[in-house]
Amino acid sequence: MARDLLTDFELMILLAILRVGDEAYGVQIAREIEATGGRRVLLGAAYTALDRLERNGLVTSTLGAPSAVRGGRAKRYFRVTARGVRAVRNTQRALVALWRGVPQLKERRS
Amino acid sequence: MRTPPAPRLALTVLERFVPDNEALTGDLLEEFDARPSTVWFWVQVLAAIAAAWRTRGAEIRPLRLVDFQPADAAERTRRYGLRFPSVNLSPVAGMGGLGFMLLIGLMTRTMPAAWWLLLASALAGCVLGAVLIVLARPGGARMTEPGRIVPSGAPRMKGSV
Repeated sequence: MARDLLTDFELMILLAILRVGDEAYGVQIAREIEATGGRRVLLGAAYTALDRLERNGLVTSTLGAPSAVRGGRAKRYFRVTARGVRAVRNTQRALVALWRGVPQLKERRS
Repeated sequence: MRTPPAPRLALTVLERFVPDNEALTGDLLEEFDARPSTVWFWVQVLAAIAAAWRTRGAEIRPLRLVDFQPADAAERTRRYGLRFPSVNLSPVAGMGGLGFMLLIGLMTRTMPAAWWLLLASALAGCVLGAVLIVLARPGGARMTEPGRIVPSGAPRMKGSV
């Protein structure tokens, strides 16, 4: 049976949520990807991917309390589901399997 | 030094074109507070609108008669109702209730048989919509791109996931 594999951006988002933990919301997720993954993140694109991941049951979200600095808007906290963790593992396995045995990518020891 | 307020127009555009935007708007305002750049804010808003449009293009909207999903329409109507009390007896935002009632009255008075045509059209639309939704479900046919439906037995295109 074919496994569900993630796109690179979805994978980065899920890993960022897992790294940030319980406080993972849009800004934190974007900052984590920018700081660790070195990729500039547009918040709108991140939310589009998060909505898609939530529809597919890979993340869940809950609304927090509104705050003044956010113009009275609530934060939306994300958590990775068990299915999401499975999808990350499947994608990791597929990528590692593809990585192996590629001569151009072998580390050169000098 | 005080942080300048976020561009009002950008916020209005964001709220108009990106449905369910509360968390995103809050995040943008929070980031704007940390780095007050109007250009940055506009870039984020325009990117969010582009991303929302790409997503909406892929959603199932049989016949594409409405701009938004019914859930969006209901939410917008609720917000509109909270902002402006309805004085025209309209159940739907943007549609005049009294004008609508007048149209119904006129139609009933002048050509009552047209109601049967309207009913038949509505039923046909419902049936067509139901068929398209069933076909687009996983296990049924799959929708590869807006307006193109591939039966479930058909081979997948190279490069598709």
